Amino acid sequence: MKKSLLWLLIVLLSVSMVATFSLAGCKEKTAEEEAVAEEEAAEAVPEGEQVTIKLTSWRTEDIERMNRINAVFMEENPDIIVDFQPIKDTEYDAQLTSSLETGVGADIIWLRSFDPGELIYNGGYISELNDVIPELADFPSAAINAWASDDGVIYGVPIAGVTHGVFYLGDIFEQYGLEEPATWAEFIDLCQTLKDNGETVFAQGTGDGWPLYEVIYSGLGANFYGGEASRQALMAGDMRLTDEPFVDAFKAVDELQQFFPSGYEAINYVAMQQMFGTRQAAMFIGGSWEIGIFRDAELDDLGWFAPPVENEGDTLQYCFHVDMGVGINKASKNYDAALRYLKWTSTPEFAQLFMENLPGFFSYTPNPTGEYILEDDVALDNLNAASGADLTVRTVWERMSRQEPSGNGMMEEALIKMYTDVLTPEEAAALVQDALNTWYEPFME
Amino acid sequence: MVGDRKKLMSSINKKKIRYFIPLFLASGIIIYTIFMVVPILNSMFLSFYTGEGMSTPTEFVGFRNYIRLFTQFPFKDRFINAFWNNVKFFLIVTLIQNVVGFFMAVLISRKFWGNKIFRRISFLPVTLSVLVVGFLFSLMLNPVWGIFDKILEFLRLGFLIRPWLGSTTTALPVIAIVISWQWMGEAILFYMAGIDGIDEEVLEAAKIDGAGPLAEIRYILFPSLLPVIGIVTILIFIGDFTQFDIIYAMATTRGNPTYSTDLFGSLFYRVTFQSAERGGWGMGMGAAVATIMFLIVFIGVIFWLYIFRMKGLKDKEGA
Amino acid sequence: MARTKKPLLTKSLIYIILSIYAVTIFYPIFLMLITSLKENKEIFTNPYGLPHVFTLDGYIKLLKISNYGIYFRNSIIVTVTSIFFILVISSLASFAIAKYRFFGKRFIYFYFIAGLIVPIKLGTIGILQTMIKLHLFDNITSLIIIYIAMGIPFGVFILTDFIRLIPEELSNSARIDGCSEPRIFYKIIVPLLQPALAAVAIVNFIPIWNDFWFPLILIRSDSMKTVPLATALLYGQYETNFGLIFAVLSMASLPVIIFYLILSRQFIKGLTAGAFKGE
Repeated sequence: MKKSLLWLLIVLLSVSMVATFSLAGCKEKTAEEEAVAEEEAAEAVPEGEQVTIKLTSWRTEDIERMNRINAVFMEENPDIIVDFQPIKDTEYDAQLTSSLETGVGADIIWLRSFDPGELIYNGGYISELNDVIPELADFPSAAINAWASDDGVIYGVPIAGVTHGVFYLGDIFEQYGLEEPATWAEFIDLCQTLKDNGETVFAQGTGDGWPLYEVIYSGLGANFYGGEASRQALMAGDMRLTDEPFVDAFKAVDELQQFFPSGYEAINYVAMQQMFGTRQAAMFIGGSWEIGIFRDAELDDLGWFAPPVENEGDTLQYCFHVDMGVGINKASKNYDAALRYLKWTSTPEFAQLFMENLPGFFSYTPNPTGEYILEDDVALDNLNAASGADLTVRTVWERMSRQEPSGNGMMEEALIKMYTDVLTPEEAAALVQDALNTWYEPFME
Repeated sequence: MVGDRKKLMSSINKKKIRYFIPLFLASGIIIYTIFMVVPILNSMFLSFYTGEGMSTPTEFVGFRNYIRLFTQFPFKDRFINAFWNNVKFFLIVTLIQNVVGFFMAVLISRKFWGNKIFRRISFLPVTLSVLVVGFLFSLMLNPVWGIFDKILEFLRLGFLIRPWLGSTTTALPVIAIVISWQWMGEAILFYMAGIDGIDEEVLEAAKIDGAGPLAEIRYILFPSLLPVIGIVTILIFIGDFTQFDIIYAMATTRGNPTYSTDLFGSLFYRVTFQSAERGGWGMGMGAAVATIMFLIVFIGVIFWLYIFRMKGLKDKEGA
Repeated sequence: MARTKKPLLTKSLIYIILSIYAVTIFYPIFLMLITSLKENKEIFTNPYGLPHVFTLDGYIKLLKISNYGIYFRNSIIVTVTSIFFILVISSLASFAIAKYRFFGKRFIYFYFIAGLIVPIKLGTIGILQTMIKLHLFDNITSLIIIYIAMGIPFGVFILTDFIRLIPEELSNSARIDGCSEPRIFYKIIVPLLQPALAAVAIVNFIPIWNDFWFPLILIRSDSMKTVPLATALLYGQYETNFGLIFAVLSMASLPVIIFYLILSRQFIKGLTAGAFKGE
C-alpha cells in the first residue's frame, strides 16, 4: 500500500518537474516554430513579412465558410494571413469585452447591430470609419445607422442583414394539397389541416427564448403591431407595448401554441433545427440564416413563405434585420493589414462571396457594376419578399436594450412565459413594458 | 524522561531555529494572501463602487449597489429568485445524497464478495467534470432524440414523460438529481469511512442482543454517523451555493427556463461578466452579489459547524 | 460470526440493489463512449445498443479541427505544476506550524484553515483585476497561481496534523548530529510525509483538472485553453453534430476515467484520509 502511494508520488513529482521545465521549453518551441513559419513565409513572399490578423464573430457555425471567403483575400494579399476565431454566441459579448479591455482582442471584430455593437464602440475599443472608408457613404442609411452613433460616427461596415419567415417541407404540403398562405387566417387553417392529419406542424419550442422574440414576435408579429411605424413610435415613447397593436401581436403569435409539438417546453434551438432538418415537422418559423443549415441537411423540397399578413391586401411588414457589421480594433498590432481587410469587406467582391458562401445573409454593399447573383432559390425568395414590403427590424433591439433589464431579454422571458401559459398575452406585454419603464427615458416621462 | 529531553533540546535550538520559521511560512502566506484573501476582500471593497470596465472602479457609491440589489427591479427579483432556487437545490441535493448515500454505504459495508468493487464504481462519476456530466445528461433528456424518454417508453412508463429541462417545475429538481448522481460517490465514501470507524464489538453486541438490521441502523449506525451527515451537508452547502458549471451546461447562464434554475453561481457570472444587453449589471453590482454570497456561505458554515459540534468530532477522528 | 449466516435472500437483495445502482452509474458513461464510436446515422436508428459498425470518424474529425494536443498539454502542465507547488508550499508551512513555537502561530494556522470554508470563486473579480495588472490574463500561469492559492488551506490542514504525529525524537537526534532545519525537513519529515502528500495531491487533482470557471474567465487564446474550456466551446460549436459531440465529451472524460481505474485504490484511500481531516 505504502509502496504504491510512494510510486504515485514519484510519478507525480517527476512529471511535474518535466512539465515545469517543458513549460519554458514549450514556449521556446513555439517561438522557434513561428520563426520557421516566418522564414517559410519570407521565402514565399520575397518582399516584406507576413502578418496574421485575427477575426472574431459569434457565428461558430461559419468557420468553414468563412475560411473559404478568407482564402480569396489571402490569395490577393499574400502578405496577410487571416485567422477566423469565432466565440460561441452566448459567450461572445462577455468574452469580447474582456479581451478588448485586456489588450488581447482580435484585430477585426464582428459587431451586432445597434445596442450590443454600440456598447463596444462606447468602450472606446474600435475605430471611426467615416474618413477611412469613404465608400460607406453610398451604403443604404438604414444599414449604416445600425453601426453608427447618434452623432453620426460610423464604426462598423454593414456586412449582412437577415430576414424572418416560415420554412416548410414541400413534400408534406403537396401531400395535403396545401399552398403557401398569404393571410393569417389561411395560415391558421393550414396549420389546423396539418394537425388534423396527425402531422407535427412546427419544429418549435420554448427551450431558448430568442427564437420566440426575434423570429416569431418580431418576424410574424410585425404585421399585427404595424411594423416600422409602430416600432419608431415605441422607441420615441409615443406608444407602449401595452397598446393594442402590440398586444394584438402577442395574441396572434400565441395562437400558434396549439400547433407546437409535444414537450415543446424543453425543445431548444438546436433541437428545433434537428427536428426540421430530419423532417420530423412540416414547418419551421426561422431566419434566413438557417438556409445554409437546411441545405446541409439535404432538404431538397425546402420552401419558404413570408410572414402572413393580417387581412388580404395589407402591405407586408417585413423584418429585414440588420445583423452583422465589422469593426476594427483600435489597438490592433497589425492595424494596416487589418484595415486592408476591413476595406475589402466593403467591396462588391466580398459581398458576392459572402452571399454565395452563406446563403440567407444579404449584403448592403452597393454594386455599381450590376446585380449580385443569388444561386439559392429560397434565399432569393427571402430577398424578393422585400420588394414592395415595409422593412423593419426587431421590435426592441434598438436603444431599448442598452441596459438591464434589456428589452431583448425581457421579450424572451415574456414570450416563454406566454407560451408556457404562465402569462396571458396582455400580461406578457405588461411585463416587458414595466421593465422598460424602470430605465428607458422616453417611457419615464 | 523523554519530555525532559524534548524541552532541553528545543531550548538549545530555539535561537538557531527561529531564523527558518518565516522562511518556511513565507511562500504559503504570500501566495495565499495575494491570490485568495486579498481578491475576496477586494471584491467586497469594489461592491461600494460603480463602473463599466473590469480593471478599474470609477466612482464611489456607498451602499447604492446593495440598495439596488435589495429593493429595485429587476435586481431584487433576480437575486431573491436565485436565493430561493439555491435553497431548493441545496435541500434536494442534501436529501438525496444523505439518504441514498447513507443506505448505499450501509449496504456496501456488509461483508460480501465484491463490496470493494461497488465502492470504487460509486466514485467514478466524481472524477468526471461537472460540465461533461451536464452536457451528457442534457443530451439524454432531450425530448426529440433523448434516450431517457425512450427508456421510459420501453419500460411502459411513457405516461411519466415530462419536458424535463423545459418546465419550471421539473428543471431544477432534475438538475439537482443529476448533480446528486455525480457526487453520490463522495457521500458514500464519507459514510463508508464513518462506518469503518465504528467499533466492531458494538455491532456484535447488538447482534447478540437480537437487534435486527433496522434496529442496528436506527440505534447504532445513525447516531454514530450523525457527524458525517454534518460533513456531507457542509460540503454540499459550499458547493451548491457557488455552483455554476452544471447550470451553464444544462440551463445556460440564464437559468432556463425563465430563470427557474438560476443559482447564485450563474447569477454572479451573468451579472458580472455578461454585457448589459445579455443581463449584465456591471462589476460593482457583481461584487455586491459576490459579497452577499460570501456572507451566506460563511455564516451558513459557521452555523453548521456549531450545530454539529465538529470540533469534538475532529478531535475524536483526528487522534 | 453472525454476519456470515445471513439468509441468502438478504444477500441477493443487496446484490440486486447495488447492481441497479451500478447500472445507473455506468450506463450514461457507457452510452457516451459507445455513441462516440457510432456512425452519425446509427446514433438515431440504434441509440441504445453497441454499434454495428465501429468508427473513429468523430475522433478523427475532432483532432483535425481542434488542437487537443495543446489542450491536454495545458491541462497537464496546469494540474501537475500547481499540485507540485501546493505540496512544497504547504508542507513547508505545515512543518513550521507543527514543529515550532512562535508568536502568532495559532493565528497563522487558522488564517490558512479559514480558506477551507471560503470558496475562491467569490474572489473572482479581484483575481481578474490582479491578473490583468500582472499581465497574466490569457495565460495559463494565472491558472497555476490560483490553484496553488486554492490548494494551500487544505494542504496545510492535512499536513500539519500529520507532521504533529511524527515523533520529535527523530528530528532531535538529527539535530544532535548537526543537521540544519531545512535538512531535517528534507531528510526526515518529507519521507515520512509521503502518504499524506499523496492524499493532498489526489484531493486536489479532481477539482483542478476539471475546473471550468477560471479558464472561462481568464483564458481567451486557443493556445492557452485547458481541456474543460475547450470542451465547453467545442460543444457549443458542434452541438448539432452528434458523432462529433460525443467524441468531444469522451475525449474530456476518458483520460480521467482511465487514470481513476488504474489508481482507484489510491484515490479512495487518499480521499478517505482527507475526508476525516478535511472540513
